Amino acid sequence: MSANRWLATGNFFATYKEEQRIFLTHLDRAVFVLFIAVLFTWPIFFELSNKYMLVINNILIAMVAIIGLNLVTGFAGLISIGHAAFVGVGAYTLASICQVIGYDHVAVTHAWPAMILLCGIVGAAFGAFAGLPALRLKHLYLAIATLSFQMIFEWVIHHTSFFNQGQTIFVGRVYWFTGQVGRSEHYFFWYYVCLVTLVLLGLSVRNLLRSRYGRCLVAVRDNDRAADAMGMSPGFTKVYAFGLAGFLAGIAGGLHAYMYRGVGIESFTLHQSIQYLAMAIVGGLGTLNGSFWGPAAIKLLDLQVENLAELAGKVLTSHLSLATALRPLTFGLVIVLFLMFEPRGIANWWRIVKSYFKLWPFRY
Amino acid sequence: MDSLKVDDVTLSFGGLQALSHVNLAIEEGLITSIIGPNGAGKTSLLNCISGFYHPTHGEILYGERRLTSASPHRISSLGIARAFQNIELFSGLSVLDNLMLARHRHLKYSIFHALFYWGKTSRLEAENRGYVEDVIDFMELEPHRKKTVGSLSYGIQKRVEVARALTLGPKLLLLDEPMAGMNIQEKEDMVRFVIDIQKERNITVVLVEHDLGVVMDISDRVYVFDFGELIGGGRPDAVAADPKVIEAYIGEEERNEA
Repeated sequence: MSANRWLATGNFFATYKEEQRIFLTHLDRAVFVLFIAVLFTWPIFFELSNKYMLVINNILIAMVAIIGLNLVTGFAGLISIGHAAFVGVGAYTLASICQVIGYDHVAVTHAWPAMILLCGIVGAAFGAFAGLPALRLKHLYLAIATLSFQMIFEWVIHHTSFFNQGQTIFVGRVYWFTGQVGRSEHYFFWYYVCLVTLVLLGLSVRNLLRSRYGRCLVAVRDNDRAADAMGMSPGFTKVYAFGLAGFLAGIAGGLHAYMYRGVGIESFTLHQSIQYLAMAIVGGLGTLNGSFWGPAAIKLLDLQVENLAELAGKVLTSHLSLATALRPLTFGLVIVLFLMFEPRGIANWWRIVKSYFKLWPFRY
Repeated sequence: MDSLKVDDVTLSFGGLQALSHVNLAIEEGLITSIIGPNGAGKTSLLNCISGFYHPTHGEILYGERRLTSASPHRISSLGIARAFQNIELFSGLSVLDNLMLARHRHLKYSIFHALFYWGKTSRLEAENRGYVEDVIDFMELEPHRKKTVGSLSYGIQKRVEVARALTLGPKLLLLDEPMAGMNIQEKEDMVRFVIDIQKERNITVVLVEHDLGVVMDISDRVYVFDFGELIGGGRPDAVAADPKVIEAYIGEEERNEA
């Protein structure tokens, strides 16, 4: 190993175990740890209004969901247009429990981490089931099959009285060691829950991706014939990819249900599925850090556009529906621009910036 | 000793018979070549052995095991590896990752071990990384280790293709035209690798190849196909003198005279 473990620029590995490291230098790791520490401490010092806290929590939840979508669409190359439905499966798992045992039953309010995990497991089961067409279908045809799952999901929720025909089903307030989490600290509390979940899942997926369970996903994406010859069952791997995506989506759904204290169909529609796909593309398909960039970029942009639209609504006459048109317009524009000019997403900018600092002051 | 036995195999696609009643045996420890004109059924036979096609009739036996209806990933885990004719690498990945993927079956840790990446996972990954390095060394791929496969030249990609099959740790290696489209130097290198694979690693090799010079030089047994039928087989010198083989390759004598 080189003497300088902080700024090592080259390959100085002496053992294969050293090569396995996630962080090549101490500096990388220090920056990462510092960043996580900042994420954990800032809400103590700055108080944001509930509106912004909600946006931030939404971003974190979307990140959990997008990690899942990125695994199946980015890494395994299976386009899923039903990701919001998988998130919905997670949320409606919790809603069903609330319907059966009551929304303020002790299991819902006290054992909420177990409930969120359960949402993930049910999501994984549905994900794997919805992924079964991948055994026979590829590319666009598979995308249509996942779209049909989205449609079936929406239809079932809309037409079942158990699910309140898609109207809101309430979820009770949870308890922490200090007692019930009240209205004033609700978003603050769920910020931490989402953050811890995200960090744990992010690190787990990072580990998964450098093991055989991650590599096999990329193998079936790049060449499933060769993957078959290399001893991986392509069919099983694809269903497993959907299961994995379903698990993360289910977790996101559980968090969503608890944070909104209710479940309604409007958060899990086709529109939302497409927005998820857009986040994954803007972030960078097939990269783990893209799963963090995408939701942050899209949700923050959404927030800015909303503010702008509000402003425009005041200036312009009211019958000009510019405000309502502005959001879908910018959304569409961003996706088109990314597909044209940076199909590898924001993750690629991150890569370029990183290599710039690594090589500085040299150009290459 | 026979390691692989192809017993009365017929493969038909609708009205087209790609293979008809083929009987042959691959002896352990030898280099067996399969030759024949284009469309003779050489690759079809390899596809049948490696499980991509299933014979419409007949049996393929590997030792005591039936391979006739097994899937490719099952067959590869039995120790039969295959390199493809048209390069079928994971083109977006580095050479190293391509080879590590071939160790999939040998990395026996559960998904829960993988989530934490401690102890067992890390140890097995490092061990198999060592195995991959051994193959990289054997196939002389050191300069290309970290390069993306898609960016490498055709000859090197072919070599990676063979290396990847070798990384599976097979007892029987099926090579589908490993020297096609190569220049003379790359071809000589590949011939050397094929011989070394058999001599040093004690792997039985089945070679499908068009270059008759190469085939006659390095093979222990040669089988000749024409229009899906096995028309001759045996030691290279005997096959070279077989009138049916000469006819298939050069054409009938009467036609030449006329």
